[in-house]
Amino acid sequence: MIEQLKRELEATFKGVSVTSEADRRITVVVDPLQALALLRFFKDRGFSHLALLSAVDLIDKHAFELVYVLTSYVEDTGEDAVPGELILVVKSMIPRDKPTFKSVISIYPNAEPYEREIHELFGIHFDGHPRLTPLFLERQYPIPPFRKDFDTRRYVEDVFGSIPAIGDEEG
Amino acid sequence: MDRNQIAKWFKEPSKMANKYSLHAIYFCTGCGIIEVPPVITARWDAERFGVIPVATPRQANLFLITGYVSVKTLKAIIRTYEQMYEPKYTVAFGSCPINGGMYWDSYNTIKHLDKYIPIDGWIAGCMPRPEAIFVAVTHLWTLIDKGMANGYERYKKYYRAYRRNQELALGKLEWPPLYPIGEHTEGGECD
Repeated sequence: MIEQLKRELEATFKGVSVTSEADRRITVVVDPLQALALLRFFKDRGFSHLALLSAVDLIDKHAFELVYVLTSYVEDTGEDAVPGELILVVKSMIPRDKPTFKSVISIYPNAEPYEREIHELFGIHFDGHPRLTPLFLERQYPIPPFRKDFDTRRYVEDVFGSIPAIGDEEG
Repeated sequence: MDRNQIAKWFKEPSKMANKYSLHAIYFCTGCGIIEVPPVITARWDAERFGVIPVATPRQANLFLITGYVSVKTLKAIIRTYEQMYEPKYTVAFGSCPINGGMYWDSYNTIKHLDKYIPIDGWIAGCMPRPEAIFVAVTHLWTLIDKGMANGYERYKKYYRAYRRNQELALGKLEWPPLYPIGEHTEGGECD
Protein backbone atom coordinates (compact mmCIF):
# COMPACT_ATOMS: atom_id res chain seq x y z
CA MET A 1 0.00 0.00 0.00
CA ILE A 2 2.66 2.48 1.06
CA GLU A 3 4.94 1.42 -1.73
CA GLN A 4 2.22 1.83 -4.29
CA LEU A 5 1.37 5.31 -3.02
CA LYS A 6 5.02 6.25 -3.04
CA ARG A 7 5.48 5.11 -6.62
CA GLU A 8 2.40 6.98 -7.68
CA LEU A 9 3.52 10.16 -5.97
CA GLU A 10 6.97 10.10 -7.44
CA ALA A 11 5.53 9.53 -10.88
CA THR A 12 3.10 12.44 -10.55
CA PHE A 13 5.08 15.09 -8.70
CA LYS A 14 8.62 16.24 -9.20
CA GLY A 15 11.01 16.47 -6.28
CA VAL A 16 8.73 14.90 -3.72
CA SER A 17 10.39 12.97 -0.93
CA VAL A 18 8.29 10.31 0.72
CA THR A 19 9.42 8.74 3.95
CA SER A 20 7.70 6.60 6.51
CA GLU A 21 8.96 6.82 10.07
CA ALA A 22 6.30 4.68 11.66
CA ASP A 23 3.63 2.24 10.68
CA ARG A 24 0.66 3.89 9.04
CA ARG A 25 2.36 7.28 8.91
CA ILE A 26 3.80 8.76 5.75
CA THR A 27 5.66 12.03 5.57
CA VAL A 28 5.66 13.83 2.26
CA VAL A 29 7.95 16.82 1.81
CA VAL A 30 7.01 18.98 -1.13
CA ASP A 31 8.02 22.40 -2.40
CA PRO A 32 5.39 25.11 -1.87
CA LEU A 33 4.50 25.53 -5.52
CA GLN A 34 3.29 21.94 -5.72
CA ALA A 35 1.72 21.72 -2.28
CA LEU A 36 -1.79 22.62 -3.30
CA ALA A 37 -1.79 20.22 -6.19
CA LEU A 38 -0.51 17.53 -3.86
CA LEU A 39 -3.26 18.21 -1.32
CA ARG A 40 -5.85 18.12 -4.06
CA PHE A 41 -4.38 14.83 -5.24
CA PHE A 42 -4.67 13.35 -1.77
CA LYS A 43 -8.20 14.59 -1.32
CA ASP A 44 -9.21 12.89 -4.53
CA ARG A 45 -7.65 9.69 -3.23
CA GLY A 46 -9.88 9.67 -0.17
CA PHE A 47 -7.96 11.73 2.38
CA SER A 48 -10.96 13.93 2.97
CA HIS A 49 -10.13 15.09 6.49
CA LEU A 50 -7.59 17.76 7.36
CA ALA A 51 -6.85 16.80 10.94
CA LEU A 52 -4.36 19.55 11.66
CA LEU A 53 -2.63 22.46 10.04
CA SER A 54 0.34 23.71 11.94
CA ALA A 55 3.46 25.74 11.41
CA VAL A 56 7.02 25.43 12.66
CA ASP A 57 9.46 28.31 12.86
CA LEU A 58 12.79 26.96 11.67
CA ILE A 59 14.77 30.07 12.42
CA ASP A 60 18.15 28.48 11.65
CA LYS A 61 17.04 27.56 8.17
CA HIS A 62 15.26 30.94 7.71
CA ALA A 63 12.04 29.19 6.89
CA PHE A 64 8.60 28.37 8.14
CA GLU A 65 7.45 24.82 7.72
CA LEU A 66 3.75 24.28 7.23
CA VAL A 67 2.50 20.87 8.31
CA TYR A 68 -0.73 19.40 7.01
CA VAL A 69 -1.95 16.22 8.66
CA LEU A 70 -4.46 14.32 6.58
CA THR A 71 -6.51 11.30 7.46
CA SER A 72 -9.35 9.47 5.87
CA TYR A 73 -12.74 8.32 7.02
CA VAL A 74 -12.90 5.67 4.36
CA GLU A 75 -12.19 2.09 5.28
CA ASP A 76 -9.24 0.38 3.72
CA THR A 77 -10.70 -1.79 1.00
CA GLY A 78 -7.39 -3.26 0.05
CA GLU A 79 -6.96 -2.89 -3.66
CA ASP A 80 -7.84 0.66 -4.73
CA ALA A 81 -5.26 2.48 -2.61
CA VAL A 82 -7.75 4.25 -0.39
CA PRO A 83 -5.75 4.07 2.81
CA GLY A 84 -8.19 4.02 5.65
CA GLU A 85 -5.73 3.87 8.49
CA LEU A 86 -2.92 5.91 7.04
CA ILE A 87 -1.93 9.28 8.43
CA LEU A 88 -0.38 11.57 5.88
CA VAL A 89 1.91 14.39 6.95
CA VAL A 90 2.52 16.91 4.20
CA LYS A 91 5.31 19.36 4.90
CA SER A 92 6.25 22.40 2.92
CA MET A 93 8.86 25.06 3.63
CA ILE A 94 8.30 28.71 2.82
CA PRO A 95 10.92 31.45 3.20
CA ARG A 96 10.91 33.32 6.45
CA ASP A 97 11.36 36.79 5.00
CA LYS A 98 8.42 36.39 2.63
CA PRO A 99 5.87 34.42 4.64
CA THR A 100 2.94 34.00 2.28
CA PHE A 101 1.21 30.86 1.20
CA LYS A 102 -1.92 29.89 -0.64
CA SER A 103 -5.00 29.22 1.38
CA VAL A 104 -6.28 25.64 1.22
CA ILE A 105 -9.85 26.52 2.10
CA SER A 106 -10.96 25.63 -1.40
CA ILE A 107 -9.75 22.09 -0.78
CA TYR A 108 -10.31 21.67 2.95
CA PRO A 109 -12.87 24.18 4.29
CA ASN A 110 -12.01 23.40 7.88
CA ALA A 111 -8.60 24.99 7.39
CA GLU A 112 -10.19 28.39 7.96
CA PRO A 113 -9.63 28.72 11.74
CA TYR A 114 -6.23 27.04 11.49
CA GLU A 115 -5.06 29.58 8.97
CA ARG A 116 -6.40 32.44 11.04
CA GLU A 117 -4.53 31.09 14.03
CA ILE A 118 -1.28 30.70 12.13
CA HIS A 119 -1.66 34.15 10.64
CA GLU A 120 -2.12 35.58 14.10
CA LEU A 121 0.58 33.67 15.93
CA PHE A 122 3.24 33.29 13.23
CA GLY A 123 2.43 36.15 10.90
CA ILE A 124 2.09 33.96 7.84
CA HIS A 125 -0.25 35.45 5.28
CA PHE A 126 -2.61 33.13 3.44
CA ASP A 127 -3.68 34.34 0.01
CA GLY A 128 -7.33 33.78 -0.66
CA HIS A 129 -8.45 33.57 2.95
CA PRO A 130 -11.73 35.45 3.37
CA ARG A 131 -11.07 37.00 6.77
CA LEU A 132 -7.70 36.98 8.45
CA THR A 133 -8.94 38.74 11.56
CA PRO A 134 -7.58 38.08 15.07
CA LEU A 135 -8.79 34.87 16.61
CA PHE A 136 -7.33 34.56 20.11
CA LEU A 137 -5.24 37.54 20.97
CA GLU A 138 -6.50 40.80 22.43
CA ARG A 139 -3.32 42.83 22.37
CA GLN A 140 -1.11 44.08 19.61
CA TYR A 141 2.29 42.41 19.62
CA PRO A 142 5.51 43.86 18.19
CA ILE A 143 6.13 40.66 16.23
CA PRO A 144 3.88 37.62 16.17
CA PRO A 145 4.38 35.85 19.48
CA PHE A 146 5.04 32.31 18.31
CA ARG A 147 8.05 33.27 16.26
CA LYS A 148 11.32 32.14 17.73
CA ASP A 149 12.76 35.64 17.87
CA PHE A 150 9.90 36.89 20.06
CA ASP A 151 11.44 37.46 23.48
CA THR A 152 8.62 36.51 25.83
CA ARG A 153 10.48 37.33 29.03
CA ARG A 154 11.35 40.82 27.96
CA TYR A 155 7.82 41.32 26.68
CA VAL A 156 6.38 40.19 30.02
CA GLU A 157 8.70 42.54 31.88
CA ASP A 158 7.88 45.44 29.61
CA VAL A 159 4.13 45.01 29.54
CA PHE A 160 2.89 43.21 32.64
CA GLY A 161 5.78 44.30 34.84
CA SER A 162 5.14 47.95 34.08
CA ILE A 163 1.54 47.89 35.33
CA PRO A 164 1.66 49.33 38.84
CA ALA A 165 0.18 47.60 41.85
CA ILE A 166 -2.83 49.31 43.33
CA GLY A 167 -1.70 49.77 46.93
CA ASP A 168 1.55 51.55 46.14
CA GLU A 169 0.54 54.95 44.94
CA GLU A 170 -2.46 55.76 47.08
CA GLY A 171 -0.68 55.30 50.44
CA MET B 1 -25.21 27.44 63.64
CA ASP B 2 -23.19 28.07 66.69
CA ARG B 3 -25.19 29.06 69.74
CA ASN B 4 -22.60 31.50 70.99
CA GLN B 5 -23.00 33.50 67.78
CA ILE B 6 -26.54 34.55 68.59
CA ALA B 7 -25.32 37.90 69.87
CA LYS B 8 -23.66 38.53 66.53
CA TRP B 9 -26.85 37.65 64.72
CA PHE B 10 -28.80 40.24 66.65
CA LYS B 11 -26.09 42.84 66.22
CA GLU B 12 -25.44 42.54 62.50
CA PRO B 13 -27.98 40.23 60.92
CA SER B 14 -27.25 41.18 57.33
CA LYS B 15 -23.56 40.56 57.69
CA MET B 16 -24.15 37.18 59.26
CA ALA B 17 -26.62 36.26 56.56
CA ASN B 18 -24.12 37.21 53.88
CA LYS B 19 -21.47 35.24 55.62
CA TYR B 20 -23.40 31.98 55.82
CA SER B 21 -24.98 32.09 52.40
CA LEU B 22 -22.15 32.59 49.98
CA HIS B 23 -23.58 32.18 46.53
CA ALA B 24 -20.64 31.38 44.36
CA ILE B 25 -20.06 32.07 40.72
CA TYR B 26 -17.21 30.10 39.28
CA PHE B 27 -15.11 31.39 36.49
CA CYS B 28 -13.74 28.38 34.71
CA THR B 29 -10.58 29.98 33.44
CA GLY B 30 -8.18 27.12 33.82
CA CYS B 31 -7.46 23.76 35.30
CA GLY B 32 -8.90 24.74 38.68
CA ILE B 33 -12.42 24.16 37.55
CA ILE B 34 -11.76 20.44 37.80
CA GLU B 35 -11.71 20.84 41.57
CA VAL B 36 -15.10 22.51 41.69
CA PRO B 37 -17.49 19.65 40.77
CA PRO B 38 -16.30 17.46 43.69
CA VAL B 39 -16.57 20.47 45.96
CA ILE B 40 -20.17 21.26 45.15
CA THR B 41 -21.38 17.68 44.92
CA ALA B 42 -21.88 15.04 47.57
CA ARG B 43 -18.27 14.09 48.16
CA TRP B 44 -17.22 17.33 49.81
CA ASP B 45 -20.58 19.09 49.77
CA ALA B 46 -19.92 22.79 49.89
CA GLU B 47 -23.45 23.47 51.06
CA ARG B 48 -22.37 22.45 54.56
CA PHE B 49 -20.60 25.78 54.52
CA GLY B 50 -23.43 27.65 52.88
CA VAL B 51 -21.68 27.80 49.53
CA ILE B 52 -23.87 26.98 46.58
CA PRO B 53 -23.20 27.62 42.93
CA VAL B 54 -25.50 30.02 41.13
CA ALA B 55 -26.13 30.60 37.49
CA THR B 56 -25.43 34.26 36.94
CA PRO B 57 -23.22 36.93 38.49
CA ARG B 58 -26.28 38.94 39.47
CA GLN B 59 -27.22 36.27 41.99
CA ALA B 60 -23.74 35.74 43.36
CA ASN B 61 -21.68 37.28 46.09
CA LEU B 62 -18.64 35.03 46.00
CA PHE B 63 -16.46 35.03 42.94
CA LEU B 64 -14.06 32.12 42.57
CA ILE B 65 -11.43 32.55 39.89
CA THR B 66 -10.00 29.14 39.26
CA GLY B 67 -6.80 29.06 37.32
CA TYR B 68 -4.75 31.18 35.00
CA VAL B 69 -6.19 34.33 33.50
CA SER B 70 -5.44 35.16 29.92
CA VAL B 71 -5.85 38.67 28.59
CA LYS B 72 -9.07 37.79 26.88
CA THR B 73 -10.43 36.13 30.01
CA LEU B 74 -9.57 39.18 32.08
CA LYS B 75 -12.09 41.17 30.12
CA ALA B 76 -14.83 38.69 30.98
CA ILE B 77 -13.73 38.58 34.61
CA ILE B 78 -13.99 42.34 34.95
CA ARG B 79 -17.42 42.38 33.39
CA THR B 80 -18.58 39.55 35.64
CA TYR B 81 -17.19 41.21 38.73
CA GLU B 82 -18.84 44.53 37.95
CA GLN B 83 -22.23 42.87 37.55
CA MET B 84 -22.21 41.31 41.00
CA TYR B 85 -24.11 42.90 43.87
CA GLU B 86 -22.39 44.22 46.92
CA PRO B 87 -21.14 42.96 49.26
CA LYS B 88 -19.09 40.73 47.00
CA TYR B 89 -16.05 38.67 47.82
CA THR B 90 -13.39 37.41 45.48
CA VAL B 91 -11.19 34.38 46.01
CA ALA B 92 -8.45 33.55 43.56
CA PHE B 93 -7.74 29.88 43.33
CA GLY B 94 -4.36 28.39 42.51
CA SER B 95 -0.98 29.94 42.07
CA CYS B 96 -1.56 31.34 38.58
CA PRO B 97 -3.65 34.39 39.57
CA ILE B 98 -1.16 35.17 42.33
CA ASN B 99 1.91 35.74 40.20
CA GLY B 100 1.46 33.87 36.96
CA GLY B 101 2.46 30.49 38.34
CA MET B 102 3.83 28.26 35.64
CA TYR B 103 2.80 30.87 33.08
CA TRP B 104 5.11 33.47 34.57
CA ASP B 105 6.77 34.18 31.22
CA SER B 106 3.76 33.71 29.00
CA TYR B 107 3.00 36.44 26.52
CA ASN B 108 -0.73 36.30 27.05
CA THR B 109 -1.35 35.55 30.72
CA ILE B 110 -2.09 38.11 33.39
CA LYS B 111 0.51 37.86 36.12
CA HIS B 112 -0.99 39.61 39.14
CA LEU B 113 -4.74 39.51 39.15
CA ASP B 114 -5.05 41.95 42.04
CA LYS B 115 -3.79 44.72 39.80
CA TYR B 116 -7.07 44.57 37.88
CA ILE B 117 -9.76 43.58 40.36
CA PRO B 118 -9.54 43.43 44.17
CA ILE B 119 -8.99 39.99 45.65
CA ASP B 120 -10.06 39.14 49.18
CA GLY B 121 -8.43 35.78 49.54
CA TRP B 122 -5.84 33.66 47.81
CA ILE B 123 -5.58 29.89 47.82
CA ALA B 124 -2.05 28.86 46.98
CA GLY B 125 -1.23 25.60 45.31
CA CYS B 126 -1.09 24.04 41.92
CA MET B 127 -3.74 22.73 42.21
CA PRO B 128 -5.15 23.17 45.71
CA ARG B 129 -7.11 20.29 47.15
CA PRO B 130 -10.89 20.70 47.52
CA GLU B 131 -10.37 20.98 51.27
CA ALA B 132 -8.42 24.15 50.61
CA ILE B 133 -11.60 25.77 49.35
CA PHE B 134 -13.23 25.13 52.71
CA VAL B 135 -10.22 26.45 54.56
CA ALA B 136 -10.55 29.53 52.41
CA VAL B 137 -14.28 29.80 53.10
CA THR B 138 -13.84 29.57 56.85
CA HIS B 139 -11.01 32.06 56.63
CA LEU B 140 -13.26 34.32 54.61
CA TRP B 141 -15.83 34.14 57.42
CA THR B 142 -13.22 35.46 59.79
CA LEU B 143 -12.33 38.23 57.39
CA ILE B 144 -15.98 39.18 56.95
CA ASP B 145 -16.43 39.21 60.72
CA LYS B 146 -13.52 41.56 61.14
CA GLY B 147 -14.54 43.70 58.20
CA MET B 148 -11.33 42.91 56.33
CA ALA B 149 -12.94 41.35 53.27
CA ASN B 150 -13.51 44.77 51.84
CA GLY B 151 -12.44 44.27 48.25
CA TYR B 152 -15.57 45.85 46.85
CA GLU B 153 -14.96 48.96 48.95
CA ARG B 154 -11.40 49.16 47.74
CA TYR B 155 -12.65 48.77 44.20
CA LYS B 156 -14.92 51.74 44.65
CA LYS B 157 -12.27 53.77 46.37
CA TYR B 158 -9.41 53.14 43.97
CA TYR B 159 -11.58 52.72 40.90
CA ARG B 160 -9.52 55.14 38.87
CA ALA B 161 -6.37 53.14 39.42
CA TYR B 162 -8.12 49.85 38.71
CA ARG B 163 -9.67 51.22 35.55
CA ARG B 164 -6.33 52.60 34.43
CA ASN B 165 -4.66 49.23 34.95
CA GLN B 166 -7.45 47.49 33.07
CA GLU B 167 -6.96 49.85 30.18
CA LEU B 168 -3.22 49.33 30.26
CA ALA B 169 -3.73 45.60 29.86
CA LEU B 170 -6.71 45.55 27.53
CA GLY B 171 -6.53 48.76 25.58
CA LYS B 172 -9.66 50.82 25.30
CA LEU B 173 -12.54 49.27 27.22
CA GLU B 174 -15.84 49.21 25.42
CA TRP B 175 -18.01 49.58 28.50
CA PRO B 176 -18.47 52.73 30.56
CA PRO B 177 -16.90 53.13 33.99
CA LEU B 178 -18.76 51.51 36.84
CA TYR B 179 -18.15 54.44 39.16
CA PRO B 180 -17.61 58.06 38.18
CA ILE B 181 -13.98 58.84 37.53
CA GLY B 182 -12.14 62.02 36.94
CA GLU B 183 -14.42 64.96 37.67
CA HIS B 184 -14.05 65.77 41.32
CA THR B 185 -10.66 64.20 42.03
CA GLU B 186 -8.00 66.40 40.57
CA GLY B 187 -4.98 65.76 42.72
CA GLY B 188 -5.47 62.46 44.44
CA GLU B 189 -6.13 59.02 43.08
CA CYS B 190 -9.05 58.25 45.32
CA ASP B 191 -12.17 59.52 46.95
